[in-house]
Amino acid sequence: MRAAGMLAALGWVSGWCAPAPQAWVPMRWPWQDARSLELLAGTPINCLLLETYSPELVTAASKRGLVTLAQIAPGGDAVAEARGALARGVSGIVLEGSFAEGIPAAVRAAAGSAPVVEITARNRLALGSSAQVLATDQGVWPGIPAEDGGHSKMAGPSGSAWINTNTGFIRAVRAWGDAAVWLANAPPAGEVVTAERYLQAIADAAISGGRWVIALDHGFAGRLAAGDENARAGWQRMAGLLAYFERHPEWRAMRAAGKLALVQDPAKGGLLSGGILDMIAVKHTPVTPVPPQRLTPEALAGTTVAVDVDAGALTAPDQTVLRDFAHAGGTVLTSPTGFKDERPPGDSITLTKAELERFNDIWHDVNSLVGRENLGVRLFNVSSMLSNVLASADGKTEIVHLVNYSDYAVENVTVQFLGNYRHATLLTPDGGQKALEVYPADEASAVDIDKVAVCATIKLEP
Amino acid sequence: MITRREWIAMIGAAPLVRSAAAAAAPASPVSIARCASYNEDVTAHLAAMFDQLGGLERLVRDKTVTIKVNMTGGPGTRFRGKAPALTHYTHPKVLGSAAYLMGRAGAKRIRFVESSWASAGPLEESMLDAGWSVRQLQAAAPVVEFENTNALGKYKRYARFPVPGQAYMYPAYDLNQVFEETDVMVSMAKLKNHATCGVTLSLKNCFGNLPASIYGDDAGKNEPNERPTSGRDQVGHEGNRQPSKSAPQELHFGASHDPGYRVPHIVADLAAARPIHLAIIDGVESVAGGEGPWIGGLRLVQPGVLIAGLNPVSTDAVATAVMGYNPRAVRGTAPFRQCDNTLLLAEAHGAGSADLSRIDVRGLPLAQALYKFEG
Repeated sequence: MRAAGMLAALGWVSGWCAPAPQAWVPMRWPWQDARSLELLAGTPINCLLLETYSPELVTAASKRGLVTLAQIAPGGDAVAEARGALARGVSGIVLEGSFAEGIPAAVRAAAGSAPVVEITARNRLALGSSAQVLATDQGVWPGIPAEDGGHSKMAGPSGSAWINTNTGFIRAVRAWGDAAVWLANAPPAGEVVTAERYLQAIADAAISGGRWVIALDHGFAGRLAAGDENARAGWQRMAGLLAYFERHPEWRAMRAAGKLALVQDPAKGGLLSGGILDMIAVKHTPVTPVPPQRLTPEALAGTTVAVDVDAGALTAPDQTVLRDFAHAGGTVLTSPTGFKDERPPGDSITLTKAELERFNDIWHDVNSLVGRENLGVRLFNVSSMLSNVLASADGKTEIVHLVNYSDYAVENVTVQFLGNYRHATLLTPDGGQKALEVYPADEASAVDIDKVAVCATIKLEP
Repeated sequence: MITRREWIAMIGAAPLVRSAAAAAAPASPVSIARCASYNEDVTAHLAAMFDQLGGLERLVRDKTVTIKVNMTGGPGTRFRGKAPALTHYTHPKVLGSAAYLMGRAGAKRIRFVESSWASAGPLEESMLDAGWSVRQLQAAAPVVEFENTNALGKYKRYARFPVPGQAYMYPAYDLNQVFEETDVMVSMAKLKNHATCGVTLSLKNCFGNLPASIYGDDAGKNEPNERPTSGRDQVGHEGNRQPSKSAPQELHFGASHDPGYRVPHIVADLAAARPIHLAIIDGVESVAGGEGPWIGGLRLVQPGVLIAGLNPVSTDAVATAVMGYNPRAVRGTAPFRQCDNTLLLAEAHGAGSADLSRIDVRGLPLAQALYKFEG
């Protein structure tokens, strides 16, 4: 134990100048040879998750200042495996899967000061804890699900495409703590995953302040290692998109903006993808998730409408906060009588048909209440996109992230926004910055964007 | 589907059987222009076409021009992720070019109208959602306005349009008042197939004149529902319910629930009740196999043509022929396999002639414009 602790400390010391866990940009590293690390040149990836690894890879990674985390799966002697891994020089441990009670704590103890990250099911996340990284391997693969011979999933002439996203989940979790949030789900098996889909997965997590743990499918990894030109180009684009978000750490510190608040327990419906947060997201209504654990007058500051997803679950003080909000002129929309926001059963992360129908009641109420009202930002021609609106702590700067989930660039996007912003800048992952003309529109101001490939950000300033 | 040889014979032949009404129906010249891409000078093409039709000025000078565009389905509903103007919506360049030319020809006011899908919100927002620049459209002519005709919109009452003579379906139709405040009615359609009507051109485009507030699935029983949120299946397509009682009721309610009968007859009624003075059909890029992305088997097509005429029936007849069909085809034959022929119904109403032998085609010869939508 003592030796292990010392070795662990050495492992950690060897990377003592490595970034803090909050700044780790993780990737499941699929290669064993040290030379493979050359692919990381110019990328912000600084944390490698290693399922298997060679001593030369660990040494080379350490020399590059990279964090190396050995992956341990349930089924074996996790403590012994952790000690062995640390003895071989890795920086820390990743426990991935469902371990018996007590095992993670034992591994932490064995690891000493070396970091231990748990990648768990969503419903086992240590929400509200002091964990520096909350990671789950349960995620939907972001994008527009295809069906009917390549047509996007929709219903009739009114059906905008549904977008599979993890943004609602990430936003709900991040509203209740400052931990880094990792989505460690793998690309879908049996599908050709294009570079665009990887970019969408990266952006889907990043616009909400999370990080997708880069995981290349076998085919892409093979082509990349073999020097395939297209794979290299795709990899460069992925690196560029990662760098885009990592160049702006201030974005992760910004708070959700907009006049609509959603009071929902992250440990219940907030764990879902496709839940009420995502339903609101596809309507591009800016929404501020407020966990009941943090429901205060300050948390509702700046909002005018609060949706209380599970009125029966609120404590008396919480109810008082909402009542005062209403007395001060705010609108409180409560869930239908008898509705309870429940923890998803088992390991499910999406709604069953019955649950979807239950949520639809709330959704229709929210939709009718919001209507065409501008609750901070209104977006047009964004049916294949999701957005996130964030504000700086002083409220002087707002940003609007846009992610396009279609395989085509979208042209002619219009953004109408409230607030006294006279300057707008379009930022793009290629490093581009373009001043946008701000013009008056329908009791708001507006800007037009010519084209959005995968991702773009509008920065609004006085 | 007819062969090219049959098609050539068809476009040059007079119909064997022609009713008295058909013989009396007016025929007007129709202009066709080759326009392979929206990157071409659409304004120049349209200007030449309008000149071929006798000039725009005599039609629009000092007049209020209402342009019914085609934005069928919600603007977020995309086919293969493409902008709707490249598939099933009329292209904003065609709108802007037409408005510019009309403004230059002295039009007093130009109003773009459409019944936005399942919404009574401003038409401008639907256009923005389609990726159109409303600002550019507004700048195309001195006075450009927009009206969502799905409900009352900017008006306080509906306008009633009786069907002259013997109506097929309803004795009159209640429409947004913008159609009454119209000197020149323009139907700006897309060249495409329609699942219910075989083809949707300048005539069928005006089915969208019907406000969902009155003719929608969630229309009020007695009075219009000014916040409609659905389409017109129950009233128009299926005949399962009457429109709001505030409007004239269906003449033979319950007699037919066949959309292939109902919609063509309603469209023909509308062509007689609210006459169209100028038909413009955008066939530059479009879709075949249906009218929108919700129809299975849809295909992208690039006919590369613009078609315009002063009579909607004649213009649609030429457009139908451009698509490779016989515009006088009867029910059971392409493209009217499961529906009545809207063109012939409108012709019988006296709205115009669908007889190609009576129509003077100007500009690009019909044979050179042929773009088969099937086969």
